[in-house]
Amino acid sequence: MGFERFVFYVFAVILVYAAARVITVRNPVHAVLHLVLAFFTCAGLWLLLEAEFLAITLVLVYVGAVMVLFLFVVMMLDINVSPLREGFVKYLPMGFVVALLIFAEMFMVLGVKNFGAQAVAIPERHGADYSNTREIGNVLYTDYVYPFEIASVILLVAIIAAIALTMRRRPDTRSQDPVAQVAVRREDRVRLVKMKTEEKSG
Amino acid sequence: MIALSDYLILGAILFGLSVAGIFLNRKNVIILLMAIELMLLAVNMNFIAFSYFLGDIAGQVFVFFILTVAAAEAAIGLAILVVLFRNRQTINVDDLDTMKG
Amino acid sequence: MTFAPLATEIFLLSMACIILIVDVFLRDERRVLSYALAQLTLLAGALISWSMLGNETQVVLHGTFVSDPMAALLKTSILLVTVGVFMYSRSYLVERDIFRGEFYVLGLFAVLGMLVLVSAHSLLTIYLGLELLSLSLYALVAFQRDSAAASEAAMKYFVLGALASGMLLYGISMLYGATGSLDIGEVAEAIALPGEQGIILVFALCFIVVGLAFKFGAVPFHMWVPDVYHGAPTPVTLFIGSAPKIAAFAMAMRLLTEALGGLYGSWQDMLTILAVLSLVIGNVIAIAQTNIKRMLAYSTIAHVGFLLLGLLAGTTEGFSASMFYAITYALMAIGGFGMVILLSRAGFEADRLDDFKGLNDRSPWFAFMMLILMLSMAGVPPTVGFYAKLAVLQAVIHVDMVWLAVVAVFFSIIGAFYYIRIVKLMYFDAPEGDAPLAVSPDMQIAMSLNGLAVLTLGIFPGGLMAVCNAVLS
Repeated sequence: MGFERFVFYVFAVILVYAAARVITVRNPVHAVLHLVLAFFTCAGLWLLLEAEFLAITLVLVYVGAVMVLFLFVVMMLDINVSPLREGFVKYLPMGFVVALLIFAEMFMVLGVKNFGAQAVAIPERHGADYSNTREIGNVLYTDYVYPFEIASVILLVAIIAAIALTMRRRPDTRSQDPVAQVAVRREDRVRLVKMKTEEKSG
Repeated sequence: MIALSDYLILGAILFGLSVAGIFLNRKNVIILLMAIELMLLAVNMNFIAFSYFLGDIAGQVFVFFILTVAAAEAAIGLAILVVLFRNRQTINVDDLDTMKG
Repeated sequence: MTFAPLATEIFLLSMACIILIVDVFLRDERRVLSYALAQLTLLAGALISWSMLGNETQVVLHGTFVSDPMAALLKTSILLVTVGVFMYSRSYLVERDIFRGEFYVLGLFAVLGMLVLVSAHSLLTIYLGLELLSLSLYALVAFQRDSAAASEAAMKYFVLGALASGMLLYGISMLYGATGSLDIGEVAEAIALPGEQGIILVFALCFIVVGLAFKFGAVPFHMWVPDVYHGAPTPVTLFIGSAPKIAAFAMAMRLLTEALGGLYGSWQDMLTILAVLSLVIGNVIAIAQTNIKRMLAYSTIAHVGFLLLGLLAGTTEGFSASMFYAITYALMAIGGFGMVILLSRAGFEADRLDDFKGLNDRSPWFAFMMLILMLSMAGVPPTVGFYAKLAVLQAVIHVDMVWLAVVAVFFSIIGAFYYIRIVKLMYFDAPEGDAPLAVSPDMQIAMSLNGLAVLTLGIFPGGLMAVCNAVLS
C-alpha cells in the first residue's frame, strides 16, 4: 500500500464520517461544523486529483462564505431544536434501507468492472511546473465565456432576490444622512454668545 | 494507485448519505439544505474524478460553475428560510400545513 | 458576427439591468414606468427572435449556444406569453401593495434563463439556464413577504427544486464520464459509437429523466406542484404554470432527443410510465379539489402527461405535436389563472370554485371567455385544446401505441368533468355576493385577446401547426 493510497483512505474515512454526522446530529450548529469538516477533507481529495484551484476555491468560497452564512442564519433564527428531531427514529430504518438500496445499485454500475484500474488507465502525474489555475483560466474566458456570463447573471439574481426578500425598512432604525452631514454650515453647529466678562470677585 | 472506481464509489456513498439525510430530516429545513449541499459535493467529486482520468479540463470548469450556482442557491434558500421564520416562527416542516389537498 | 445569434438574450439582459437601475430612482406613484419598460422589452425581444425564424442552424461560442428555427419559435412564444403574464399581474400587485420593480426584473431574468435553456447546446448551458430560471422563480414565489402561505410554498419549491437539480447534475456527471464531452453534438456522436458503455449511459439517463420529471411536474415527482401553485401569489402561479412549460419542453428536446437520441428505446419506456401516471393522477385528483388554483395545478399535471406522449412517440410528427401542445397550453393556462386574478380584489383571493358561481350574471363576456378556456382545456372542438390533443394522439397512433392513445382519451373524458363543473357554476348557479367586478382596462384587453386567441387558433390551427412542423424539419 503506497502512501497515496493511505492518504486517500484516511481522507475518505473522515469524509464519510463527517457526512454521516451532518445528517444525524441533533444540533444544527454541529451539523454545519461537520459539513465544514466534510468540505475540508474533500478539498484534500481533490488535491490528490490535481484539481488544486478548485480545492482552494472550495475552502475559500464554501467554508469561508457559504458555511459561515449557514452558521449565521442558524444562530440568528434561534431554533428550538428538540421538536425537530421527533420522528427521526421512526424514519431511521426507512432512510437506512433507501440509502443502502441506492448505494448498492450505484455500486454495481460504478464498481471495478466498469471503472476499475484495468478499465480506465491511471494517468501520469503532471510535473511540478504544471499550473492547474492557468489551465482553467485559459479556457474559462475563451471557450466558456458564455457560461461565465450566465453565471454572473445568476449571482446578480441572487443579490436582487436576497435583498428583495429580507431587507426591511424599520421606522426605528437610526441612520446617518451623509447629505445633511456634508451640507452642514458653521452656523448650525457653533453658537457664539456675546457676554460680558465676569468681574473677578473679591 | 487509486483507481477511478474508488472515487466514484466515494461519490456514491456521499450521494446515498444525502438521500438518507433527506429522508431522516424531513422536519428540519436547515438540515435538508445541508443534505442538498452534500449531494452537490458528490456530483463535484464525480466531475473532478472524471476530469482527471479523462485528461479533460471541462469537468473542472463544470465544477467551478456548480460551486458558483450553489453559493447563489444557498443565499436565496437562506433568504426564503428567514422570510418563512418571520412569518411562522418555525422551520418545522410538520407545521407547514397551511395547504392541504 | 459571432454575437448576432445572441441578439435576443443580449437585448433582454441589457434592458433588465437598465430597468433595475431606473427603478431605484422612481417614486412609488411612477412605478408603472418599470412595468411599461418591461413590457416593451418583451415585445421587442419577441420581434427580434421572430425575425430569426428563417435563419439557418448555427452553433456559436465554442459549441455552447445554438440558434436554430426551433429556438426562434419557442423564444418568441415564451416572450409573448410573458407579456400576457405581466399584463394580468399589474392590478393584482398594485392592490396588494407589492407593485415593485423587483417583480419585473426577476421576471425578466427568469425569461432570460428560459431563453438560455432553449438555445443550449452544451450540458453546462442547460444547467446554468435551468438554474437561472429556477432561482428567479423561487424568489418570485416568496415575493409576497407577509404571506405565510407564499413563503411556505417557496420553501417547498426550493427544497424539491434543488433536489431535482442535484439528481439532474448527477446524471450529467455520469454522462460526461461515459462520453468525455459536454457538447451535445459530441455526446450524441459518442453514444452512437458501438461500445460497452451501455449500462453507464442508462444509469446516467435514469437520473436525467428523474430530474426532468421533477421540473416538468410529472407524476410521481409532482408533490410540489399543487402546494406551490396554491401558495404562491396568483400572478406568480400564472407565470410558473405557463412559460416554463415551453422551456421544459425545449430542455427535454435538447437532452433527450439531441443528446441522448441513441438511447430512444430506454427513455421511451420511462416517459411512457410518467405520462400514464400523470394522466391518471392529474385528472382523477383534480376532481376532488375545491380550490381552483389546486385544481388547475392537477390539470397541469394531466396536460404534462399529454406533452410527454408527443415526446415519447419519438417522431418529428410527435415532437411538433408536443411543441404545439406546449405553446397552446401556455396560452390556456395564462387565461385560466388570469381569470382568478380578474375576480380577485384586495383582501379577497377568489380562488375557491364557489367564487365562480353566477359569473354569467355578473359579467356575461368574461363568463364566455372562461367558457372558451375551460372547453379548450377539456379538449372540446372548436377550441385549440382539441387540436392539440388530436395531434398528439395521431402521433402516438402512428407509432403503433394505440393502447396509450385509448388511455389518454379515457382520462381526458374523466378530466372534462371538472372543467364542465366550472361552466355549470358560472351559468346555472346564483352568485354568492353581488360585489361588482372592477376590472382594469389592460386586464379586459388581455382577457379578451386571450380568449379570442384560443378560439381563433382552434378554428384555424393550420398556421401555427405548419410553423411547428417547419421548424423541426
